[in-house]
Amino acid sequence: MDDDLPTDFQVIVVGTGMVESIVAAACSRIRKNVLHMDSSDHYGGLWASYNFDGLQKFIKEVNSDPKKQVQVYNLSEKWYIEKESPELENKDEENKTDDSKSEQVKKVWSQASFATEYRKFNIDMTPKLLFSRGPLVELLISSNIARYAEFRCVTRVLTWLDDRLMPVPCSRADVFATEAVSIVEKRMLMKMLTSIVGYNEEEMNNEFKDWESKTFKEYLEHKGLTPNLIHYVLYAIAGGTNAMPCLEGVKECKKFLMSLGRYGNTPFLWPMYGSGELPQCFCRLCAVFGGVYCLNRPIDKVATKTIDEGKNMITIDSKSKTLNCEHLVIGINECPKELLSTESVESCDISKAVFITNGSIMKSDKEPLTLLRFPPLAEGDNTVTVLEVGPATGSCPKGLFVVYFITNKVKDAETDLKPYAERIFDMSGGDQTEATEKPKCLWSLFCNLKDTSAPVASVAAGVHVCSGPDAGLDFDRAVLQVHSTPPQRLLYVQSDSSGYSVTLCSAT
Amino acid sequence: MPDMEDYKFLFKVVLVGNAGVGKTCLVRRFTQGLFPPGQGATIGVDFMIKTVEVDGEKVKLQIWDTAGQERFRSITQSYYRSAHALILVYDISCQPTFDCLPDWLREIEEYANNKVLRILVGNKTDREDREIPRHIGEDFAQRHGMYFLETSAKEAENVERLFMEIAVELMEQAKCKELPKYDGSLGPINGKTTSVGDGSCCLRS
Repeated sequence: MDDDLPTDFQVIVVGTGMVESIVAAACSRIRKNVLHMDSSDHYGGLWASYNFDGLQKFIKEVNSDPKKQVQVYNLSEKWYIEKESPELENKDEENKTDDSKSEQVKKVWSQASFATEYRKFNIDMTPKLLFSRGPLVELLISSNIARYAEFRCVTRVLTWLDDRLMPVPCSRADVFATEAVSIVEKRMLMKMLTSIVGYNEEEMNNEFKDWESKTFKEYLEHKGLTPNLIHYVLYAIAGGTNAMPCLEGVKECKKFLMSLGRYGNTPFLWPMYGSGELPQCFCRLCAVFGGVYCLNRPIDKVATKTIDEGKNMITIDSKSKTLNCEHLVIGINECPKELLSTESVESCDISKAVFITNGSIMKSDKEPLTLLRFPPLAEGDNTVTVLEVGPATGSCPKGLFVVYFITNKVKDAETDLKPYAERIFDMSGGDQTEATEKPKCLWSLFCNLKDTSAPVASVAAGVHVCSGPDAGLDFDRAVLQVHSTPPQRLLYVQSDSSGYSVTLCSAT
Repeated sequence: MPDMEDYKFLFKVVLVGNAGVGKTCLVRRFTQGLFPPGQGATIGVDFMIKTVEVDGEKVKLQIWDTAGQERFRSITQSYYRSAHALILVYDISCQPTFDCLPDWLREIEEYANNKVLRILVGNKTDREDREIPRHIGEDFAQRHGMYFLETSAKEAENVERLFMEIAVELMEQAKCKELPKYDGSLGPINGKTTSVGDGSCCLRS
């Protein structure tokens, strides 16, 4: 069937990660003739979501293929529960009615029950949030791609303060409702937040002209904020560390505050069924406008030549077929080494962990969707971003939560993240029905990911390299790689009343 | 909110099946009353909408096409999400399109909601070179718990009936609350969306 594949395209996109998919959609939208391929049998590459079965396959694949371990390494999976459920547990069948809220007794999960419900899991390789007024939300709306996806609002932002979890007041209502800060502090905090959002460019320049080489923490101290408030603003709202430069802190705060009040109580949205849905939505748009899709299609060889007047001709060998195009857009992990510029780029690998637990890290009336930002617990650590998603997001069966941990790598994923996990989970295994303060960790996965998020140039004209996932909280880096100005841009997309215009920039 | 139209229910119906079995023609025939002959791959069609009346109530059917991604078996999983009904189509004059049904079912089982209403459709009954007898299709549908219908988009045979039966059945399910739920408390059933609140939301400009 593959042999019907046409061979001549204006643009061929290889890899279905976020950046590649945005480019594919943009090119197709302006009626370029696009072929979009992926060597694997599913969409998303390192941005994919997997059900539990798919995840097991992914783990096996990585562990048996040294080539894959260039991107993903130190991958280790661990169970904290029995293989099979105890017999008596079958009583559960009684409350099979769909909206039974009567589940008094906690379900005892086993590895077998995970396997039975494998379809209900959607576990992300690159979990990310969207800022409600961030560039991705605007792009989804302006391109109509929003209709292909559903979102949930993050219901709360937490931080780790004085050895316990604390909700971070982020909206005006929150600030006034919280009991964690005094009235004087409330006024101080409101004043601070309001002024940061309110500054126009000139006021910004005035206010911060002497702060360029100083830290955000110093600025907050200078403003007379109490240690509690500094903690909220610096770690939870700006997501920074003590070393965060002042202007970066201000920028991050502003981004957070500007996104408040559009869709919910926090600035964030989470895609239903996981972040891995989003690249697929861009692919759908590409297909709707005529893009040809072909998974399971590895490439063997890429050759480039210049025909007259700077016109490129790129040929790709794939499964005994030769494909031709003017522009090749390729994910960095799929790109033949000889096409990449050897110029070194700054990089810091990512430490990641996924946990499945039997309860939320902090009790709540309604099912919560939580962002927790851990300040560094030890000298030399980075901040740790934690996302907890539940059954209402389509991430897991009822009664469970999926919790993601992401940080910049220091040693290895397990060493970097386990101390943080132990603060909020009970990782001892043991009786799941036992009433404990912390939720039980039932399963864990640690891994390190090579950082491929920096833009890399290609040495061949007409070849455009897309970056891989970064450790950031949102998709902004991926979106800005496509929709921004030089030099970061890969190609330039503009939308106006007549549709889109795209210029593929030569990568130099 | 711009989309507060006059309808009581909104259902998402998706079509799957091999390339060339007539998925787009079925949709076009139903929504526009057209049969475009010699149509190539589907371009620019995202979904089509038709509002029908069941028991005096307006029901809006949003019918999604594969956008050609079925050609090399590369349909996105997200296509199957939040579908209320799924129409699996084969061509009664083309054995290979019938032989692929188990593959399609596997994909449906993997990604679609397990409560989704599933209908098997043998299209192109106008053709004289039938390869799959009606009872074979019927058997297959029965074995896999699907409704079954043979249609001809060209002759407009059973096309109206196909979608009307889907509308009736989905409405029945909606009334007994057996419909797949996608939003917890905020079902897509009434077509309303919230822009503020901690439930789910749709992005609106």
